[in-house]
Amino acid sequence: MFTNEELWQSVLAQIQLNISKASFSTWFKNTYIISQRDNKVTVSVPNSFVKEWLEKKYNKEILKILHNLDSEIKDIEFCVGKENLKTINNKKLILDLSEENQLDFQEFKINKETNLNPRYTFESFVVGPFNELPHAAAVAVSNDPGLIYNPLFIYGGVGLGKTHLLQAIGNEVIKNFPDKKIKYISSEKFTSEVVNSIKNHEMNQFKSKYKNIDVLIIDDIQFLSGKEKTQEEFFHIFNVLYENNKQIILSSDRPPKTIQALTERLRSRFEGGMIADISIPDFETRVAILKLKSQLKGVLFSEEIYQYIASIIQKNIRELEGALNRIIMYQKINNQPINLEMVKNILKNITSSPNKIITPKKIIETVADFYDLKEKDILNNSRKKEIVKPRQIAMYLLREDLKSSFPFIGRKFNGKDHTTAIHSYKKISEEIKENKNLEEEINLIREKLLNS
Amino acid sequence: MKLTILQEKLKEGLSIVEKISLKSLTLPILNNILISAEKNFLNLSSTDLEIGINWWSLSKIEEEGKITIPSKLFSNFINLLPNKKINIKTKNNDILIECENYFTQIKGLSSDEFPIIPNIKKNEFISLKSSIFCQSLNQIVDIPLLSNSRPEISGIYFLFQKNAITMVSTDSFRLGEKKIIFKNEQKLTNNYSLILPQKTAKEIINIFNTKDRDLNIYLSSNQIMFETLMTETNYPEIQVVSKLIEGEYPDYKEIIPLKYNTQIILNKDEFLNRLRISGLFTGKTNEVKIKTNLNKNELEIFNQNKDIGEYNSKLPVKIMGENIEVCFNYKFLIDGISNIKSSEIILELNGDDGPAILKPVGDDTYIYVVMPIKSD
Repeated sequence: MFTNEELWQSVLAQIQLNISKASFSTWFKNTYIISQRDNKVTVSVPNSFVKEWLEKKYNKEILKILHNLDSEIKDIEFCVGKENLKTINNKKLILDLSEENQLDFQEFKINKETNLNPRYTFESFVVGPFNELPHAAAVAVSNDPGLIYNPLFIYGGVGLGKTHLLQAIGNEVIKNFPDKKIKYISSEKFTSEVVNSIKNHEMNQFKSKYKNIDVLIIDDIQFLSGKEKTQEEFFHIFNVLYENNKQIILSSDRPPKTIQALTERLRSRFEGGMIADISIPDFETRVAILKLKSQLKGVLFSEEIYQYIASIIQKNIRELEGALNRIIMYQKINNQPINLEMVKNILKNITSSPNKIITPKKIIETVADFYDLKEKDILNNSRKKEIVKPRQIAMYLLREDLKSSFPFIGRKFNGKDHTTAIHSYKKISEEIKENKNLEEEINLIREKLLNS
Repeated sequence: MKLTILQEKLKEGLSIVEKISLKSLTLPILNNILISAEKNFLNLSSTDLEIGINWWSLSKIEEEGKITIPSKLFSNFINLLPNKKINIKTKNNDILIECENYFTQIKGLSSDEFPIIPNIKKNEFISLKSSIFCQSLNQIVDIPLLSNSRPEISGIYFLFQKNAITMVSTDSFRLGEKKIIFKNEQKLTNNYSLILPQKTAKEIINIFNTKDRDLNIYLSSNQIMFETLMTETNYPEIQVVSKLIEGEYPDYKEIIPLKYNTQIILNKDEFLNRLRISGLFTGKTNEVKIKTNLNKNELEIFNQNKDIGEYNSKLPVKIMGENIEVCFNYKFLIDGISNIKSSEIILELNGDDGPAILKPVGDDTYIYVVMPIKSD
């Protein structure tokens, strides 16, 4: 008994003796045997033209050769199959200048089943001391999903590469384990799926869809905050997946402890696996990122330019990339090499932007938003514990960051006495020293202030 | 083979089949067309192994037979003959052509090696006026780019339903969707979706656009066939068979925004003219900026180029929603607008980085989505 491959190879070897080279390559390219069953051989051909031709012209000859090789074979059938592995062509379209900034439909690049964008890989992820731990955990998980760190919880500020890391895990798992079912979803989308399933009475389909997944990746989990029904559904899905050793990967802009309005049972589950944080990249890493990005875009700048950009943009990798793009654009439009002076000029607006004007109003808004409260709750006189603390934090920030006077702070908060403001400031200042979580919370609020 | 046919008729047939036979390098016989005489019909066929075209004509057949002949030479020659009766005869592998005082002999090749154009089961089909189909297809056929990396979006996506045909094309920067709604339901048993190669689509438009006949479209798993019948008798006149592109078309509906931040209603020709002028000032980048002024109900269209100069024009329009300044590739806008038939158009914008929509006023069968250019 021959294998499909051997059998067809010997057919091809004999056929080519009897026909011209052009015909042979036209009619027999990308043909192969897909099955031998019940004395019948099925041959896959690339299109209907080839099918007609082989059926009408070469049927007898092929059958004769097959029969000589294996006397059991009595019949042959041709079917139009999927084209034999399409050559993967990674060559990008040649984009001219106009298309550098031309936006395109991102949805088209995303894999429909997994929701992953193939652009995000480990190869294009720059590792530095600030993200070594989450990166190592991510690599470990993608080599052995479900078994080591489960769940993997990654948190860190805006534009530091959480989504990149999460999607890279997904893409790597696809590469390592093509059979695994992977799903990447943002928690907002997850919520709307829950809502829709409830509305359409399709909860069971919804559940079974998620319970069949091998690797579930949910981005920006902090948005589940306050959505109780979604949290409950997620809790059940989480448990099923977890018990079956399926990998769960989550990200958030803050550690699970400080996500407000998250049920205790979810919180404790999030904390049950590996928690890794991505902090702000150090200077050397920022330079390395700039070098990698410009390499990917096919341009090179001098060392001092990289260093300058890295020195002025410190907290956000996305902004780093934005600044780089701006310089590349400038260089292309003006068609001249760039020097440091020009870079300083181009990035003038960026450099001035970190000193965004932060107003007392903004602080109060941001704090209220962070703790899921209404602004007026913070401003009024409620003595409820969950309101008192945010109010004290807001006062602390007004004093610490804006250097407002205590009487001014008092007035801002519904005409409170300046002693209240002093008390709040002192209380928080002292608590920060002892309570690491509080410090983290306050830093997150500050970050939000800068990014809003 | 021996037959007689009018020059005009033969010329018409050749113009339909010859185009696709010109370009094949792999198999020399594909540069030929197949001429066959059977019963009362003369049949011309050509193929490039992706598309196959058949054309029939009533003709006086004295002797049946078939032969292939280089298409370019044959068609150039026939074109130059006077519009008189042509007698065609074969002698071995040569073809003898006689018309009035012209006597010609052209070397052909045996028909044995000529590919067989696949047959399609005529189970599932729809039927509509060829001019309507072609004009609709023409509105979106130029959008796709030939791309090896994304073969599925290099073609035209079709959805065939009992009461409508939807066609969609995109190059990932913009997307066009056109619908043909039927008054009477078609006899389809199912909904079918498929991806037609852009080359076939263009060929179909070339062949059937000028004809005002019923076009039958037959659907099968990996082939599609377009057919018109003769007016004189119930026999096929033209059949175009094409392979389809494999793969799944992206979920394009997700791209079409359902809401807008700014809606502008404006005169098509005025806008088109201003965009064309702006094109003179874009240089390499093709960028044109448009800016709304809600208070004045005015749209500003402008751009500038360091080396060329500046351009600025204002257009009275109707605006609803927010003021906005946004940048586009002017060519993309022109492409979308020139396919709109109405005199007034709707432009819907979603900020300076969200998809914009162009559509006719009072006609929801055409919609064009285009992404802006990001400006810093």
